[in-house]
Amino acid sequence: MEVPLNGQFIRNLMMAAHATHDHIVHFYILSALDWVDITSALKADPKKTAQLADSLSSWPRNSYQEMAAVKDKLKGLVASGQLGIFANGYWGHPAMKLPPEVNLLAVAHYLQALEYQRKANMIVSILGSKTPHVANLVPGGVSTAINLDSPSALNMERLYFIKTLIDEVGDFVKNVYLVDVCAVGAMYADWTKYGAGVTNYLSVPDMPMDTKGTAFSLPGGYIANGDLKTFKPITSYTDEFFRDGVKESIKHSWYNGDWTKHPWDETTDPKYTGFQDTGKYSWVKAPTFNDKPAQVGPLANVLCMFAAGHEPTKKYATLVLETVSKIAGAKVGPEALHSTIGRHAARAIRCAVLYDEATTQWNALMENIAKGDLAICTKYPIKAGESRGFGFHEAPRGVLSHWVVIEDNKIKNYQAVVPSTWNSGPRNQHDALGPYEASLVGNPVADPDKPLEVIRTVHSFDPCLACAIHLVDGKGRSLNKVKAL
Amino acid sequence: MAKRITIDPITRIEGHLRIDCEIDGGKVTNAWSSGQMWRGIELIVKGRDPRDAPTFTQRICGV
Repeated sequence: MEVPLNGQFIRNLMMAAHATHDHIVHFYILSALDWVDITSALKADPKKTAQLADSLSSWPRNSYQEMAAVKDKLKGLVASGQLGIFANGYWGHPAMKLPPEVNLLAVAHYLQALEYQRKANMIVSILGSKTPHVANLVPGGVSTAINLDSPSALNMERLYFIKTLIDEVGDFVKNVYLVDVCAVGAMYADWTKYGAGVTNYLSVPDMPMDTKGTAFSLPGGYIANGDLKTFKPITSYTDEFFRDGVKESIKHSWYNGDWTKHPWDETTDPKYTGFQDTGKYSWVKAPTFNDKPAQVGPLANVLCMFAAGHEPTKKYATLVLETVSKIAGAKVGPEALHSTIGRHAARAIRCAVLYDEATTQWNALMENIAKGDLAICTKYPIKAGESRGFGFHEAPRGVLSHWVVIEDNKIKNYQAVVPSTWNSGPRNQHDALGPYEASLVGNPVADPDKPLEVIRTVHSFDPCLACAIHLVDGKGRSLNKVKAL
Repeated sequence: MAKRITIDPITRIEGHLRIDCEIDGGKVTNAWSSGQMWRGIELIVKGRDPRDAPTFTQRICGV
């Protein structure tokens, strides 16, 4: 089973663009307001804000005029009495520590982030027809027809428009997102001490560069107990270390029975019994890797790529640690990444790596088309009798794997073990806490009635519970990579 | 004396998540993470052509 090169590069480009969109949305829209006090921004001096921004980055949209306009916009919103998207927040909470100018800068970038995440998503929709739920992914490749002479297919105008979008989004990621995460991280340096939780990290390789899917542009693997020296790579779509390591427990989940099984052998038999502290209390199953809980996501991915010696990851990780150290006025080393704020830093590092990667994939696609190769899909036959397959993908929230048992051309069993299942899972068969749970223990809580600090740590994982209920994340892409073994 | 708090739902995420914490002396001492929804797409794809599965399963996540 091979996927034509154009199919690989188009999928890869979509994955890079989608994850870039997703990481920008997570930091600014879904989690920045855990750290940024919108109401404090009203007290900021736009001139000082612009000066501060100028000292951190050469981004052209950090001018005094831009900051003054954002402050006026915010004032108008507050005066209207209808706060809209900012209505619900722990404003004035004692754990909010940023000065007014930093808060105003963050609000300005929150609004700009809406524009740039849309540009990233435009790349996905140009190639995939729409987003979410792209329509061009098929087993064996993609259905995105390439015809340089047709206005209704992927042609030179569309390809160069994609390149323009990649570069515009890349400017935002490198000059705004990466810088803001460093500034917030440096000013909340105490949060490098909280939220490590489970430090077994699992990540899979992605961005296949050949038709067989044996060479990957981004590495993946497993790190035990936060020790990068233990890194063991995962090297192919049929990797036995990965295939045999994954199991799921339902001891504490609302399913019938009490077992720990490999995904191929599992059943899906829901049985709700209410919230029991020491019994069953979640719809999410508890995945384990070699019998232990594992954390997945950008932090796991960045640590594994770093351990594998991936150059762009080393470049951006070093840049982030140096910038944080400079702003904080104290040396911050890689150990700080095992934390709540470290998960944000890792996501920004990964986002910058993916910008470089999108450029790599675009170049590869252009060069291949220039050779006259327009193939996009290989017919996917199903073998007679019973066969088993699995596929994986490093989705924005981490390792996604789908497992299928096929009998007589029909699906006999199907299980998806998705990123938020790994992270949000309950206690496992040995009653060991899942990553969310473990990361919360030891967190400070200034006011139990306003548990902002709990939210900070949970949000740092970028939860996606619609997927975690033992289903799928990342647009089901992994399934396209299912390999019959 | 430990205080138990329940945050349900956690907002600014995708889906329905409940978090329970025991808090003692200004610190979290125990925690439970609970997924509060169930969908069953794995049952929906049973018995179908494997090549149709991506179309069903990608509907699970709109993020």
